[in-house]
This record gives sequence, structure tokens and C-alpha cells, in this order.
Amino acid sequence: MTGGYGAGRFSRGIAWATVLYLVLPITIVLPVSLTDQRFLSLPQEALSLRHYANIFASPAWLAAIGQSFGLAVVSTLLAVAAGTLCAIGCWRLSRRASDLVRVLMLLPLIIPSIVYAVGLYRWFGKLDLLDRFLGVALAHAVTGIPYVVITVSAALAAFDPRLEQAARGMGASLGQTLRWVILPRIAPGIASGAIFAFIHSWDELVMVLFITSRQVFTLPRKMWDGINENLDPTMAAVAMLLVVFTLGLLWLDGALRRKRAA
Amino acid sequence: MTLPPPSASAPAGHALALTGLTRRYGAFTAVQDVSLSVASGQFLTLLGPSGSGKTTILMMVAGFTEPSAGSILLDGRDITALPPERRDFGMVFQGYALFPHMTVAENVSFPLRVRGLARAARDAKVRAALDLVQLDRFADRKPAQLSGGQQQRVALARALVFDPALLLLDEPLSALDKKLRGELQEELKALHRRIGRTFINVTHDQEEALRLSDRVAILDHGRLVQQGSPLELYERPATRFVADFLGRSNFLAGTVREVRPGAMALLAGATRVVQAVPEGAPRLALGTPGLLALRPEKITLLAPGEAADTEVAGEIAAWSYHGTGFSLAVQTTDLGILHVALPAWRAAISPTEGMPVRLGWPADASVPVAEDSHAA
Amino acid sequence: MRRDLGWWALLLPAFLMMTVLYIAPIVQVLAISVTEPQLGLGNYDRLLTNAGVQRVILTTLRIGLLTTGIALLLGYALAYVIALARPAAQRWWLLGVLLPLWISVLVRAFAWVTLLRRQGLVNQGLQASGLIDAPLPLVWNEFGVVVGMVHYMVPYAVLPMLASMREIDSRLLAAARGLGASRGTVFGRVFLPLSLPGVVAAGVLVFIFSLGFYITPAILGGGKTLMAAEWIKLQILDLVRWGMGAMLATVLVAAILATLAVFSRVVDLRRLFGARA
Repeated sequence: MTGGYGAGRFSRGIAWATVLYLVLPITIVLPVSLTDQRFLSLPQEALSLRHYANIFASPAWLAAIGQSFGLAVVSTLLAVAAGTLCAIGCWRLSRRASDLVRVLMLLPLIIPSIVYAVGLYRWFGKLDLLDRFLGVALAHAVTGIPYVVITVSAALAAFDPRLEQAARGMGASLGQTLRWVILPRIAPGIASGAIFAFIHSWDELVMVLFITSRQVFTLPRKMWDGINENLDPTMAAVAMLLVVFTLGLLWLDGALRRKRAA
Repeated sequence: MTLPPPSASAPAGHALALTGLTRRYGAFTAVQDVSLSVASGQFLTLLGPSGSGKTTILMMVAGFTEPSAGSILLDGRDITALPPERRDFGMVFQGYALFPHMTVAENVSFPLRVRGLARAARDAKVRAALDLVQLDRFADRKPAQLSGGQQQRVALARALVFDPALLLLDEPLSALDKKLRGELQEELKALHRRIGRTFINVTHDQEEALRLSDRVAILDHGRLVQQGSPLELYERPATRFVADFLGRSNFLAGTVREVRPGAMALLAGATRVVQAVPEGAPRLALGTPGLLALRPEKITLLAPGEAADTEVAGEIAAWSYHGTGFSLAVQTTDLGILHVALPAWRAAISPTEGMPVRLGWPADASVPVAEDSHAA
Repeated sequence: MRRDLGWWALLLPAFLMMTVLYIAPIVQVLAISVTEPQLGLGNYDRLLTNAGVQRVILTTLRIGLLTTGIALLLGYALAYVIALARPAAQRWWLLGVLLPLWISVLVRAFAWVTLLRRQGLVNQGLQASGLIDAPLPLVWNEFGVVVGMVHYMVPYAVLPMLASMREIDSRLLAAARGLGASRGTVFGRVFLPLSLPGVVAAGVLVFIFSLGFYITPAILGGGKTLMAAEWIKLQILDLVRWGMGAMLATVLVAAILATLAVFSRVVDLRRLFGARA
């Protein structure tokens, strides 16, 4: 997109301002988390790690982190299994036949989570899944499926359908074709989907607000209470840990993509 | 490779018959009522331009596409409903469809692995198959590290390693350059002779079809137009399409004016065109329009005073030289432009534009052909 | 069909999860809106009679449109610069757009509170520099909500617009320049019209996301600026008025689906969400 035509000074100015607006406020979390004061502020006299120490000394924070991690792992496994198979099925079946299924799989991205959370509150009450690990894992898994379907579909778009035909033509069953031909080829796409499904569950708050109370208390839930009740630098430290963790996952995704491209 | 030698008492290949095979996509008919049979050990080529339905037929034989009507019989057994993995056919795909994440040996071993063969038995067969295509040294390479010709051979080895009932080839040579294509045609033909299997090949390359096949089936707009040996098809095309698609032809249109035993004559303007009619061939009635196909290489340049069954005068409108001969386009009054191929070393003239010439050919040089049924 | 049975079976786990654990709860919400507290359209009558509901809907629409407008403007400039940048520079720009997208919404809301509250870094900085005497009310009002929401939405605005700008043949722009058009004319007559489908797609995406947004307005609105999602939460968790909450939830879903339906001619839904790569 160059060809001797570049953006003007005005648009470049807005673009720079917008990127700074996007990135800078997030970076403010770092100095605040290192403050030596007891309240939200920039470091006054020295940098301090006491707020990080607070987190790791607090059983409540550690429990929340542990629970969120466990939930994210379980829901990601479920979403990856269901989403990958579904994407492969849709890819292989004719577009018209599977179009409805594809749209269905994208619904969680379109319908606001508040609506789903309200419905879940009632539905899980009937199924006795309120405030239970399994309930949250299932809810996060279902809403994580779209991310997997999208990334796996993208990987499949680059997959030569004749390889599947070749495998079937040589006598491979559906299971053998999946295991030996299709899955090894789209593994990076599946990994990307898994990473995004993981981040989705790890950050999810709205459903958790409705379907959990005491037994399940995730990290976002604890942060939410923290923001609404006592704004202190510990929150900044937690936020910073979250940012670093997310950046790590995104870096992993980038590394996988580069490997796929190579 | 554990293939039985062709001299074994039982035929090594299997016979395939298609009856009334039809495939429709909505309102569009890709293949219409095709009936064909291939004898055991034969090399059949489905030949046609793109969109003629030849690949759809192959895909139905392989089991990837379900026929809308008709049936597929293997040695008399109906296999129309069998899924591809249960047909036991070897297939070389267009572009080869080698698994890029597996080595050459793993690719070739794949059909054996899905059949649950033990590792040792697999290795022996893979080695034999790679030997057969002279690729034993490349067993540990990935497909991307091979040339196009080598990839094609891997695809062949992979299609043959499990002793398939049939070998299906979908445009196996179309991705290669012309010279390599010629070499691999020879190899493919030799391989077919050596292992005696039944091969079904799909191509749009008429030269490849003539060189490789025992039998050629010509398809156009989803219909089977004519089938036969390469020689039959070239020498006695049944329709204008076949005469034009297989090699080149001049078409001579006229009205039937004389019918005698063994011959007839058409009148095109003032030119009388004599046509031999072999014993038992269908005859055209007096006064009806007739169409003849005439190969450019069967026309000769008449020396002054020389006579032929049919003679026509004209002048050279265009000419070109291409090593083995001259191509002339001769403008005539009654027959339009006639294309003539002259062997260069025997050419009596050095052509120039506007040069008057006299052309002639014997009565058995041309053949009557039918107009195409779908012609608009 | 018969032979494809195995492939259909692959769809089954996801299909069952989706219908039993996603569609069913949502259908139940729709059902509650016409059955509680009693059967009928009583809850929907409130749309016409209850000033509270009307105010919430107006606030939601106003903030949604404002957010969409600002996000489109900023996002367009950003997408435009990215589309015309060299490939190496494009990667850095994209990083700046995509990183915020994946940072937790809570973290971002928290960062804005830290910056914008009365004793926040922005007010402190302005006061220290002597520009203002008393702290400005930057958060826990509509201004704060819009700042936080635009921050969340800009990446969603950039991506569809960038996709459609990348489809523009750069030779057209060079050709227009070569034919003597000024930079402004090239933009107005060639680039802008060709990028419009992306603008519409981005607008639809941002608008429907804005309508149902919960966390950012809840934190940055401080309970004073009520949008639809937070109002629904209040009805159900705090006031236990299921019928009302479900009614507004239904209206929300209907509004989103209607928006998508209206623009479905211009916007390919599946492409918008990246399913068709």
C-alpha cells in the first residue's frame, strides 16, 4: 500500500495521538504498582515491591489466582475440543449446510454477556450448577468456542482439501485422517485458539458476577470488589501481573504464528 | 514391491464398468449418462477440455463425489455406495497432495499404516515402492525438498504401495514442464506395462492421451462423445469436436451429389470433393449436407500435371516454418482457408505469400463427421 | 449426505454445548420477559410508561452513538496511517492497536480510574502546573464512561476498516496522483469511497458492542450514568425484578439483531467476526 502515496501530517498526528491514548493509560499501572505509599500514587521517594509482596502473602489473592487458572485450563480444554472438531466439520461439509452452525458458534461474540449471565443465573439454578467450579468452567467453555472456531477455521482455510481426500482415498478412516493428517497441520491454529480461549476465561467477569458467590471466587471477581471497595496499590500490582501474563500469552501466540509461517 | 508379475495366471488388474453415470449440481449437469468400461490391465484416459466432466467422473470412481444416477461396477460388483476409504483404489492427485509434514517414506507408508500393517512389513514394501520409482535415496526428505518430477514419483509410489485394485491419475503430469512431461510419460507407460494394473488417467492434453493410453474416452459438456483406441480416434473421429480436439482438422462442408459403391462425392461451390466410404459404413443420402474432416498432413501440394481424387486451387495466405515442416494457410474459393502441413525436407517450394498453389488429396484421406449435438 | 455422517458427528459436541448451555439460557430470558410477574406484555408496557427505563435507553443510545462516532474517527485515521505505512512500520502500529485489545477490561478500567479520579494523576498534574485550581470531574460521570468505552472500542473500529483499506489497490492512488489529483482529491474521490464498506462494518461492530457493555460503564460511571447492562443487573441482582430485567435484555438482543439485519447487506457477518479467513 505505498506506491508513492503516503498519509498526510494531519492524519499521522491523529494516529499517533490515538495510539498513545490506547497504550499510555495501561502503562501507568506499572509505576503506580511500584509506589512506596499506601494509597494510589506515583512512587514518592523510592520504588517498592511491597504491594507485590502483599499479593503473594495473601491467601485470598492466591486462592483467586489458583481458581482462575484452574477454570481457564478446564474451560480452554473443553472449548478447544468442541471448537476444533466443529470447525473441521464445517470446513469439510458444504458451506450451505454448515452455515447455520457457524453463525450459531459466533453468537457469544454478538449477544452481550450480561444477557447470557442473566439467563445462566436462572438456568444453572435449575441444573444445580450455581457457585460451582463445573458451572463456571462450562459457561466459559461455551463462550470460548467462538475464538477456537475462528482461529481453527483460519488455519483450515490454508489447508489443501486434497490432502484429506488423498488420505481417505488411501483407506484412512475419519479418525485416522484427523489424527495423522488434519490435526498435525492445523496445530498452530488450535494453539492460537487455545490461547485466546484461555485469556477469555481468565478475564471474564460478567458471568462470574451472576453465577458465583463464595465457593468460586475468581481473580477478576476479586479485582472488581477491590476497585469498588478499596482502591489501593495492591490492585495496581495485580493489574500489572495480569498485563504481564497476557503479554506473555500473546508473545507465545506470535511465536507460534511465526513458526507456522516458517 | 510385491506386485505379481504380469505373466501370473490371474489378471493383475481389475475391470471397471460405469453405467449411466450422471452428476448434477442444481440445474447444472456436470456428467450426463456416461457408460464406459475398462478391461483388466488396460490404460484408459478420460480426455476433454476443462469443464467437460472428466474430473467429476474420476471423483465419482474414487468415491469423493456421489453420482446423481447410474452405477459403478468393479469386477461386476456394485461399489457405487462405498466410501472412498473402502474402495481400495490408488490415486495420484492433481498437484500430488503429498503430506507436507511427513517425509517421503512416511508419505509412501501412509496407506499401509492406515491398514494396520506391522512396521517391518511396511518398511519392506515402502523400500520396494521407492525402488520402483527410483527414489530410494530420497526416503528421508520432505516433499518440499523434491523437484516436481520427484514429487510426482512419490505420489505414484504412494498410490501403488498397497497393491490397489485400480490406479486413478488426475492430471498427473500437468504441473511439469514440457520436456519433463515427455520423460515421465515414457516412465508411466513402462510402469503400466511392468505391473499390469488397470490405470485410469484424466487429462486435457491430447498428446499425452494418445501416447499413453490403450483406450481413450473423449468427453465434452459432460457427455461421452467417442471412445476407442488412440489410432481409431485419430483416424476416424465421429464428430467435428473429436476431429478438432484430437489433433487439427480442416472441415469441408458440401452437399452430397453422387453416391456409388465405396465412394461418394460432395459439391462445395464448384469443387467436387471425393470421399471414400468403407464397406458397412453409414452412407449419406443424395442431396443432404455433408461434413468432412481432413488432417492438414494428408493434403499434398500437386506438381503441375499431377492428379488427385480431389483437387483444389488457391493461393498461400500465410505460412510459417517450424523445423519439421511448413504450415500453410491456403485461401481457396470454395473450401475457404485450408491448413496444410508439409514436411520441410520434401517441400517442392519455398512458400511466399500470394503464391498460387494446387492442393490435392486421395478419397480415403478425409472422413465424414457429424456436427456436434450441442452446437448452438 | 450419508457418507458425510462422520463429519456431521464432529459438529455434535459444540452444537450440544451451544444449544443446552447457551441458547437455552438465553431463550429462557426471552421467556421470562413475557411470563413474570404475570403472563403478557406488561413488562413491555413499561417501555412506554416508565420514565426510568426510557432514561436508561436514551442514555445507552446516546453513549453508544457518541462512542461509535469518536471511535470511528480516531480508528479511521489510525487505520489510514497503518494501511499506507511500510510493512515494518505496520507491524509496530498494529502492536499498539492489538495489545490493548487483549488486556483485561478490568485492568483498563482500573487504569482510567487511577488517572481520572479527583486525586488522580491527571488532576494532580494539572493542579501542580497551575492550569486549574480545583480538580475537574473527569470520572464517575458520562465523560469518564465515554473515555473508557472509546478506549475499549478503537481497536474494534480499526480492524474492519484496515481490512477494507488493504483491499484498495495502491496503484489506483498512485495513478490518481499521476493524473494530477491533489492529495486531498485522491483521498476524497478515491480512497474514502473505497474504504466506506469497512467504515460501515466497524460502525456496526462498535455500536452493537457499546449497547451491551457492562464493566467499563459500571466502573467509570460510578452508579450515576446508568446504561442498559448495569440497569439489567440492578433489576435482577439487587431488586429481584426478573420480568423487568429480562424485558430490557430482550430489547437489547432485539436491537442488536435488528442492527445486524439492517446492515447485513453491507456487512458480511461471518467476515466481520473473522470466521471466513
